Amino acid sequence: MSTLIGESIARPDAFGKVTGQARYPGDLVQAGMLHLKVVFARRPHARIRAIDSSAALAYPGVVAVLTANDIPYNAFGLIEHDQPVICGDVVRFEGDKVAVVIAESQEAAEAASKLVTVIYEDLPVLSDPRATMASDAPLIHPERGSNILFEQPIRKGDAARALDEADVVVEGEFHTSWQEHAFLQPEAGIAYIDEHGRVVVETAGQWLHEDRKQIAQMLQIPEEQVVVRYASIGGAFGGREDLSVQHILALAAWKLKRKVALIWDREESMIGHHKRHPISFRCRWGATRDGKITAVECEVIADSGAYASTSAEVSKVAALFASGCYEVPNIDVRAYAVYTNNIPSGAFRGFGAPQAHFASEIMINRLAEKLQIDPIELRRINLYREGSIEPTQNRLPPGVSVRECLEACLQEVAQRFDRTAPSSASHLKRGIGIACGIKNLGYSFGYPEQSTATVEIFGGATMDHAHVRAGAAEVGQGTHLILRQIASEVLGIPFEKISMITDDSSEAPNAGSASASRLTLMAGRAVHDAALAAKQAWEAEERPAKATVQFRPPATTPFDPVTTAGTPNYAYGYTAQAVEVEVNTLTGQVRVLKVISVHDVGRAINRQQVEGQIEGCVAQAIGYALMEHFQMRDGRILTPHFSSYLLPTALDMDVEITPVILELADTNGPFGARGMAEMPLVALAPAIAIAIHDATGAWLNQQPMTPERVLKAIQEQSA
Amino acid sequence: MTKITVKVNGKEYTSEVEGRTLLVHFLRDQLGLTGTHIGCDTSQCGACVVVMNGDSVKSCTVLAVQANGAEIKTVEGLAEDGKLHPLQEGFWERHGLQCGFCTPGMLMSAYDLLQKNPNPSEEEIRHGLEGNLCRCTGYENIVRAVQYAAAKMRNEEPAPIGAKEQVVESVGS
Repeated sequence: MSTLIGESIARPDAFGKVTGQARYPGDLVQAGMLHLKVVFARRPHARIRAIDSSAALAYPGVVAVLTANDIPYNAFGLIEHDQPVICGDVVRFEGDKVAVVIAESQEAAEAASKLVTVIYEDLPVLSDPRATMASDAPLIHPERGSNILFEQPIRKGDAARALDEADVVVEGEFHTSWQEHAFLQPEAGIAYIDEHGRVVVETAGQWLHEDRKQIAQMLQIPEEQVVVRYASIGGAFGGREDLSVQHILALAAWKLKRKVALIWDREESMIGHHKRHPISFRCRWGATRDGKITAVECEVIADSGAYASTSAEVSKVAALFASGCYEVPNIDVRAYAVYTNNIPSGAFRGFGAPQAHFASEIMINRLAEKLQIDPIELRRINLYREGSIEPTQNRLPPGVSVRECLEACLQEVAQRFDRTAPSSASHLKRGIGIACGIKNLGYSFGYPEQSTATVEIFGGATMDHAHVRAGAAEVGQGTHLILRQIASEVLGIPFEKISMITDDSSEAPNAGSASASRLTLMAGRAVHDAALAAKQAWEAEERPAKATVQFRPPATTPFDPVTTAGTPNYAYGYTAQAVEVEVNTLTGQVRVLKVISVHDVGRAINRQQVEGQIEGCVAQAIGYALMEHFQMRDGRILTPHFSSYLLPTALDMDVEITPVILELADTNGPFGARGMAEMPLVALAPAIAIAIHDATGAWLNQQPMTPERVLKAIQEQSA
Repeated sequence: MTKITVKVNGKEYTSEVEGRTLLVHFLRDQLGLTGTHIGCDTSQCGACVVVMNGDSVKSCTVLAVQANGAEIKTVEGLAEDGKLHPLQEGFWERHGLQCGFCTPGMLMSAYDLLQKNPNPSEEEIRHGLEGNLCRCTGYENIVRAVQYAAAKMRNEEPAPIGAKEQVVESVGS
């Protein structure tokens, strides 16, 4: 019946990208523009006693030096506005901005930036979240009265009693670290005042309308007076969800009424934007002798860094999945997000779920070990099923497919993994690990969720062509192609006859962010419904026929303040992943040989794109599990370059990856599609830990599982 | 300032450059060839790879003055007479790109590889692209794209789409 849905149509933006014609933000700089250079604090915690810009201002070519005093409303943030655009009194992490130098050339801006003199009084550096929680710790945001940014318990049943009564109890402590997004295109952009007096920012981001909102707030002007446009975006992965340079560009253009440009180098990018949260977990799991998990108790502490960003939301996700994808009758989770003087943490593909699964999926295997039950069997006994009750005491939304994912994964394992294959040397040990996972699709816990699209059909007797308007960021994931396929399918006109208007906040309606695996599901549904409505208008002889639809999924709710009950999410993705590894017991190096990554995507709108998402995300997950080690000491970033923060290369990824796509429909998605782009990061790190254990008998409880840590765990195991 | 003459994508340019100007900045800022990208400050990422006198180089580690008298090919010079190079076709056809920022460097590294080794094994392709980082694709489809181009350039029929399982099999063996 359908012709386009599921088709591996090649992406139309590829032409520009293979010929060098695509324009990324850094390619928009033109002669005559002013250049901006940010002066960073480069110290983790200090009071600003004085800033002297006179020498910088006297430097030839310098036009202005902006400081905190130049900003109408000097605070921003996705959830709460606790971050200064430019710091005026206190700096709270190395990447805080203290001034912006504006000059006629990049060289002048750079040279003059070194002449801005700031007199600091250093303050105590708080870098350990647990110590920072102590009531006598110095305060990072004194006006709040506490370093605890966010605190949320989840209580279901009576966990203390259930643990007392359990036949078996296992305890564990797990630590995860920062992860850098490392999108290949560092932050950049231009800004200017257009002929209507609006400030226009051309840059990269993940949500046009949110960027616009925060910029308008900063400048204290109506949102209509701000236009955000996205150039080609060189990757994002959550790392462009917070403002980094967008507001600085807008501020400079607004102040000087000139065209301005800013390009960060890699080091500026690394210290200037947030990272994945380091989260530690202390947990106790209890079960009956026959393998029914009866209780999960867990303390979750997320290092928020200096500012809030999305820490509260990430902590909620980590708390919700502290018991994994298992139906547990008694739960006692206490989650905290804590301010420190470390780099701020925020959104990164997976958004708290990879961290939580690192704890929960290892815990279930350790529980299986103690119970002497096969870990797959233990999963089968406890995995969520249709109608299961979540930790928040509500029924899971329909479409619970984690069991199907696990069984499909096991089938592939039987076909592709060879347990009997001999190692090439006695110090090379092979092992297999299998883990399951769950992650919300779309916004959670009552956060307003909507996506809006407009479809316009042009022609006479027959439809000739159509415009689709949806402000959905194409960060590389292929969303514009997906939305176009959906529109073409619904309207029944050729793909080539559909134009997409997606990258201008004044031209495209708000489709919401490119995050939470939500654009295929949410924007896809909005485009689907708008196309359907426009088609009906067309059939009613409207010319051109036009329809705007705002799609709202089933409502979610915050935690009840007393009972902690609620409806956290309207949709979930499910996964099961298997890995085969080879561990070098002399060096601790782990080589991933094979990965099977099973995902229920509801419906693959474009199979090639879905497989591409799986393969790319698996690479990020392998990096996260084994090699990407973002290091800080006493608030100082030790790994601000690709020479010290190592990313997987083509050689590291010489891994047999088998993506398995299940199509079990979600009730909300267009043509049954549900989101999937984060899912391959959810369970892979614990699967690797389980495989290392299978190979060596050693349990790792700290990510990344670097050779040093693996070797230490092996030595402790054999000691 | 030093006067240099460089042939880029078949066209000769004579320019004044500072001694410290990097080739990548010369290409981007003076010639306006922004297809060559800058992704890091430490010569790790390979987004700036161009072909100079027949060899791929990271143009962030070459001074513009060193390119005096050289012949340079950038991504903008890959397509000829309006026809995409088989590598460009391959990256499009085989979904060898997502965000596309690493693509020009990948293309030029792969171009150099196929000039020297028209029939590379998968391992040789991975070695050839080791100096280029991609954060989106996991490299799988990039390898397939290069295989597609290599077959086409040898006048062979590229493996059909869906031949993926075979590709997968050969990785593990």
